[in-house]
Amino acid sequence: MAGLTGRIRRLGRIAEPAPPAPGPLQDASEVGRGSLQLRHVDAGSCNGCEVEISGCFSPVYDAERYGARLVASPRHADGVLVSGVVTRNMASALVDAVNAVPAPRVVIAVGDCACDGGVFSEAYGVVGPAGAVIGVDVAVPGCPPEPAQIIDALRKLTRR
Amino acid sequence: MTATVESTVSAPRRGTGRPAAGLAPALAGTVTVGLGGAAGLLGVLGISGHGGGVRLGWLLPLAGVDFAVSATAGLFMLLVGLVAVAAGVYSIGYFRTSGASTITLAVAPVFTAAMLGVLAAGSVVTLLVCWEMMALASLVGVLSDHHRPAALDAGRWYAGMTQLGFVAILVGLVVLSASGGSGDMVLLGRHAGRLTPTARNAVFALTALGFGSKAGLVPLHVWLPRAHPEAPGPVSALMSAAMVAVGIYGLVRVDVQILGPGPRWWAVAVLGFGALSAVYGVLQASVSTDLKRLLAYSTTENMGVVAVGVGAGMLLIDYHRPGAAAVAIAAALVHTVAHAVFKALLFLSAGAAVAATGIRDLDRLGGLAVRMPATTILFAVGALGASGLPLGAGFVSEWLLLQALIHTEPGSGTLLAVVMPVAVGVVALSTGLGVAAMVKAFGVGFLARPRSPEAAEAREASPSMVAGMSFAAAACGVAAVAPVVLSAALDKVLGETPGVGLSAAPSLGVVLRLPGLAGSVSPAVLAAAVVSVTLAVVVLAGRAGARRRPAAVTAPLWTCGAGPLSERMEYTATSFAQPLQQVFDVVLRPEVDVEVSHAGGSEYLVERVRFRSRVDDTVELRLYRPILAAVSRWAGWVRRAHPGSVHLYIGYGAIGVTVVLVVAR
Ligand code: SF4
Repeated sequence: MAGLTGRIRRLGRIAEPAPPAPGPLQDASEVGRGSLQLRHVDAGSCNGCEVEISGCFSPVYDAERYGARLVASPRHADGVLVSGVVTRNMASALVDAVNAVPAPRVVIAVGDCACDGGVFSEAYGVVGPAGAVIGVDVAVPGCPPEPAQIIDALRKLTRR
Repeated sequence: MTATVESTVSAPRRGTGRPAAGLAPALAGTVTVGLGGAAGLLGVLGISGHGGGVRLGWLLPLAGVDFAVSATAGLFMLLVGLVAVAAGVYSIGYFRTSGASTITLAVAPVFTAAMLGVLAAGSVVTLLVCWEMMALASLVGVLSDHHRPAALDAGRWYAGMTQLGFVAILVGLVVLSASGGSGDMVLLGRHAGRLTPTARNAVFALTALGFGSKAGLVPLHVWLPRAHPEAPGPVSALMSAAMVAVGIYGLVRVDVQILGPGPRWWAVAVLGFGALSAVYGVLQASVSTDLKRLLAYSTTENMGVVAVGVGAGMLLIDYHRPGAAAVAIAAALVHTVAHAVFKALLFLSAGAAVAATGIRDLDRLGGLAVRMPATTILFAVGALGASGLPLGAGFVSEWLLLQALIHTEPGSGTLLAVVMPVAVGVVALSTGLGVAAMVKAFGVGFLARPRSPEAAEAREASPSMVAGMSFAAAACGVAAVAPVVLSAALDKVLGETPGVGLSAAPSLGVVLRLPGLAGSVSPAVLAAAVVSVTLAVVVLAGRAGARRRPAAVTAPLWTCGAGPLSERMEYTATSFAQPLQQVFDVVLRPEVDVEVSHAGGSEYLVERVRFRSRVDDTVELRLYRPILAAVSRWAGWVRRAHPGSVHLYIGYGAIGVTVVLVVAR
């Protein structure tokens, strides 16, 4: 216990200083203002985006200080974070997950694949980008997008 | 007990012979109810000290039949009466829908009468005759569906065990009355001091064995989880609620009141076997997947708790603590009564579920709450009683027992200081696991979705069945919040028990007080508080919620993206008990076997996984199987002596006569 406390004290705070808050979105909806609970769905990603998303919630980027959190069930969520191109196997599951989030809700597409199909758009077994099966409210392009970009989008929603 | 094997009971057409005509079930039920009512009346007479003797010299050659109801017998008669009324009313509808032969219909009234005979017996001979009648009547009940191999097997076990028990009681009581110089139960109580210590010890050992086996105490319990489930609903209720209590009556009347106070090892033996039964019974109940077998094991557990109370009482008498002894014995008696009402209710409602579905396997039941709401609620009342929680029938007695056990002053002797804390642990453990077993029985058996088409098509029990169960439920309610109704009877029974301090008898008013010990609780106030707080929360939450509740939307059930939820995803009795089974696998020794078949010879592609888990009765496997094997080996040798040759038999006769002539020369 003492060792642990000592280590925490030595390490100190490693989160990077918060950049200035971005302004709200154009069609400013109230969903997620102050607090945004998200269920993440991997619709068929190469896992590059997942690495970046987990980076967002790591101690260094610490998205939770802006009010965004990942939760385990869509029933607890305000929105869905989709990554990857929508594969046939995952299409209905993605639709179910989004429908399971109580309205009003937001859908955030993370990565080029989710936004417009990206490198996998021509592949077999692919239905299309997230927009092909569900309505997308916020898009974060990039292959993969950096944590800072993802956090920027989240902060536009939480406005913190 | 097997998770995969289906245990389907053919609901219609139980028993041999012609199915009884329309009015017969009503007649049999009415007779049973009448007997129950008469028992109640006699019980009250006995308790108030007017249970005087009746002698019918002509009824039985040589000995005659004597009836005299003591206060102790009166209390137990009340108990049997309650169970008989509930079971009698219930049996009318039960046998109408499930059909029964005249023989099966006659079981309940004859069985009830025999039990009452045992309790009312004023002499040893009467007690023995009625005891045997009780055993035979219940045996016929167990065999009422004798086309099923399981029922036949149960019948064989039951017949063997009950006859051995009878022999033990017979020898014990004969020795007692021969050395006591009288067959009269009251006189015997006064003359028991004439027995030599060896005779006393022998009588105690024999009678405790016999009565203990009837009460289902481990290791003499093996017949109970087989026989009780096989009998039709009302008969299993009578067996598991009333007959085991008759076993306890024998223990209290003969071993505590007539023979006692005895040497210290008697108390330790009763307490030890009680503790063993409580723990072993509840463990088996919590892993059992057969609804009625679970209830039967719970009977073993509860009788174990009662025996712990009786044993603790005997020990405290021996240590000259009349106050604590009074509380312990009172706790045992109250628990016997409470157990009778809640177990009767549980067996009746389980019987209704089994009759409606034809299934006893919890893994294939479920969803009955929607189809059989009344039965479900009534089973819940019984299960609450069996859990020993406030508002439940078993709460008062468990509280009393714990009070008696924990209030051992320091410096009261090494044995007491060692035994009592262990007993507290045993009672606490068995209560805790008992809750798990009851949650399993109720949750898996009645809630969620039906796991089989039969359960999905269940129909609510008939009005008379519901009436019978409601009567038992009302008795549960009274036992839970107003135990005061028992207090007069308890005082009288404690007065009949030598070595117990009457002044310290617990008073069971609105507030339970223990004059000898520091402790009080008020089940009625507790119940009122729980009910009113729950109501207040429901009402307030409803009000608050109604004001800012958005319009309701219909959303699909969230199943983690998988397909629609099916009953295959529900908790089963096996999976619910799995953690417990794992923790206690040293005692339970489950037989688990997983079989994986691969597709196309690839070790990565699984075609199907078959999981089978089975918990056998360890005591039966380790103790009884070797004995049975030895007996049948011995019987094999004996059989060689009679090969069917007439010459040889004449030779035996000649040798026999010669030996007699030589000896008697
Ligand atoms: S956007 Fe790039 S990193 Fe993200 S899933 Fe698609 S290919 Fe992978």
